[in-house]
Amino acid sequence: MTRILRRGALAALAGVLAWLPAAGAGAIDIKQVTTPLGIKAWLVEDKSAPVVALSFSFAGGTASDPAGQSGVTNLMATLLTDGAGPLDAQAFRRRQEDAAASLGFGASLDRLGGTLRVLSANRDEGFELLRLALARPRFDPDMVEQRRAQTIAQLNQAAQRPRSVAGRTLMETLFAGYPYAADPEGTRDDLKALTPALLERRAATLLVRAGLIVSAVGDIDEAELARQLDRAFGDLAVGMVPPLPPEWTPPTRPRTIVVERPVPQSIVLMALPGIARDDPDWYAALVMNHILGGGQQSRLFNEVRGKRGLAYGVSSGLRPYKRAALLVISTASANERVAEAIRVIRANLVRLRDDGITEREFADAKTYLRGALALSLDSSGSVAGLMQSLQVDGLSPDHLVRRDALIDAVKLDSVRRMARRLLRDEAMTTVVVGKPVGVVSDPKE
Amino acid sequence: MLGGLVASAVCSPAAPALAKLFAVSRRPAESFTLANGLQVVVLPSRRAPIVTQVLVYKVGSADETFGHTGVAHFLEHMMFKGTDRVASGEFSRIVSRNGGRDNAYTSFDSTGYHQTVAPDRLDMVMRMEADRMTGLRIAERDLISERQVVLEERRSRIDNVPSALLDEATREQLFGRHKPYAMPVIGYVDDIKKLNITELATFYRRFYAPGNAVLIVAGDTTPEAVRKLAEKHYGPIPARKIEARRRPAQGAVDLPQRISRADARVVEPRWSCDWLAPSYRVGETKYAYALQVLARLFGGSETSRLWRAMVVDARVALSVWAGYSPVSLGLTSFDIGVHPAPTRTVAEIESAVNVEMKRLIDGGVTTEEVERAQNQLLAAAIYGQDSLASGPRLYGAVLSTGGTMADVAAWPERIAAVTPVDVVAAARLVWRDSGAVISLLTPAAGTR
Repeated sequence: MTRILRRGALAALAGVLAWLPAAGAGAIDIKQVTTPLGIKAWLVEDKSAPVVALSFSFAGGTASDPAGQSGVTNLMATLLTDGAGPLDAQAFRRRQEDAAASLGFGASLDRLGGTLRVLSANRDEGFELLRLALARPRFDPDMVEQRRAQTIAQLNQAAQRPRSVAGRTLMETLFAGYPYAADPEGTRDDLKALTPALLERRAATLLVRAGLIVSAVGDIDEAELARQLDRAFGDLAVGMVPPLPPEWTPPTRPRTIVVERPVPQSIVLMALPGIARDDPDWYAALVMNHILGGGQQSRLFNEVRGKRGLAYGVSSGLRPYKRAALLVISTASANERVAEAIRVIRANLVRLRDDGITEREFADAKTYLRGALALSLDSSGSVAGLMQSLQVDGLSPDHLVRRDALIDAVKLDSVRRMARRLLRDEAMTTVVVGKPVGVVSDPKE
Repeated sequence: MLGGLVASAVCSPAAPALAKLFAVSRRPAESFTLANGLQVVVLPSRRAPIVTQVLVYKVGSADETFGHTGVAHFLEHMMFKGTDRVASGEFSRIVSRNGGRDNAYTSFDSTGYHQTVAPDRLDMVMRMEADRMTGLRIAERDLISERQVVLEERRSRIDNVPSALLDEATREQLFGRHKPYAMPVIGYVDDIKKLNITELATFYRRFYAPGNAVLIVAGDTTPEAVRKLAEKHYGPIPARKIEARRRPAQGAVDLPQRISRADARVVEPRWSCDWLAPSYRVGETKYAYALQVLARLFGGSETSRLWRAMVVDARVALSVWAGYSPVSLGLTSFDIGVHPAPTRTVAEIESAVNVEMKRLIDGGVTTEEVERAQNQLLAAAIYGQDSLASGPRLYGAVLSTGGTMADVAAWPERIAAVTPVDVVAAARLVWRDSGAVISLLTPAAGTR
């Protein structure tokens, strides 16, 4: 159920749909571009669209925030579009609006990413604003104060939102003592201590050409893209890729944590050690996850929602981080019934692991996964995003062609093996936020 | 007339993008109607080998009556519970095993079902969607378990969320208790608990018919192919007369009102004001486009008047917004909201908002401001067309609320035609105490 769009996104402009490139997931023509300054990028050229979509990211994310400066990467990323060079925040935003350009930055645990979207006729202006944001950010004290106050308010709100509390508790429990435990937005105390100088230093460390990954889609050719990329990124130092966090040791014992909150419905997250993206059995894990909880046909959906009405949403997903990997199951159920929902989920993990998978489930999952990639190619921004993630994962441009074969090559036996490898309830961390009946925290060790 | 307006935009240095936005060549979407009354819209796009079918019924929660809320949404859930040809729960499973995805939504005025699949599966999903237009079978067993699912959905969306509970109360005050837009789309808990098969079946027969639906197909296909498939699958369904839908011409009569919710789950307070406002269909509809421009320039971005005044200059707010959606079969609302900065009082917030409203009404708005807002609206619309999902969403919303293909086509011109005088007149019309509800969300007791 959704409500009508809040504001009338009433585009007429139907003909604009004719922009979209005539290519499928496997047929997308990815060109590799290297600029005179040595910046590398992947490009999908599409002359029919008067738009350029750029996606880029730098190595190093919130997990590498220096000690005592949690939140510095996130706050710095927000402030990159709050004034640069000669332009204060208002002037910078107006320049974007006048060019119908939009520029945004955001940080994940492992990387600092950004996107630029601009009409191709305004690309000079778009890439110039990107250059200013990257090379000459201002961190004006009044903007730092404004964004700091907003971030602290968001932290306060998140601390009361059961879903956010569950996510935070899960990460803090699984990654206790490890860089992934920290809140990407920081702690209130650390945020209060951040200064423009510290933000500047963080920007200078992270915004470098080493480790930069770029992808572009739209109405721009290789030579022009190379010129624009050298303009936007050429002022940056070459720098170096920040060191990775150490290896993570997954938990080997089960753990249940209940966080009390005055809400009628409890939020549940159940996490198991997962599988790295570069594991040779990655696709077997994808197939297994799809069967377990990857959509409206999945076992969990059928057993928890379809048959018993225990939840509105229930799903599982693989989360491969750079240095750790999880398989996370999530649902939400009335406080009185959440214990049963957890029981049903656990029983189905065991059933999938011990009783195996049918030929039919196996074949259906493969068909879905082959088609699923194309389903996500619904805008130029999403194509740029896909190329970005392929590069982050260290894949080659022909991956889109090879992917079907990789999925086809998965054997039923390897999926069964994957179920036995991953679905180990003796290593499960369960977080419940609400006022659950019949679920209690394990005593602390 | 349009030529002059576009020319003025071209000449204005303040709006360099407007001309470029208009310069984007447009080709109208194809539309035709089957003999049984089903309207079909085709939006071809060859980006990826995928196609999206959306079937939108012209019925929503506002077609329910007090004491029987939640029927439209519950029925949407039950539409996945089978026909003579497709077993309960199989619809989504079949779509998935064919490499596709599907879902559905319910709003105040419409209910939509959508699937995205490879082009060679369009035939299959059209057959299944046509099948459940008339062939739905509702089993008691399915109803009982799905009732729990709907109640869980309500807990997720409303009961676990203090701001959503306040919004529910605000709509009751604004549109008048027991009136169509005052009642929540998902329904009240007591109504959901007692909903039965007869009610669902009656609602289904009353509203689910080809003449009361719009079929939208977007993606890697052609109008010819869609017409052939639509004739094949939807064509044989007999036409049926559907009664006209009614919406009240007025909102609540006892305004202004002021409501508040103190909640232990809230740490950051929120102040908002909602006004009854005309939509594209009801009330002083000629102001709908000016109100869109007003919302944008007053509180629609970080360069807007209210943001600059309250967040940047006076620093009494952490963030502010203004919102208005004219796509409604009945009246709609215009809202302004504020997240106060720490230690700021409600009185300070209200005074700051009032000062800006008065400044706009007394002092007017500049041509430059209006053109910037127009630019932003048109740019958002153009980029929106870059997504396969947004086209069907747009046409579905407009065509199910009394709008036409021509309305969609004329939207950019109508937005561009808005003048500074129109914006002020629209603000005067809507910003009246006799149409307002002020809502305050606060922490439970004494904190902050």
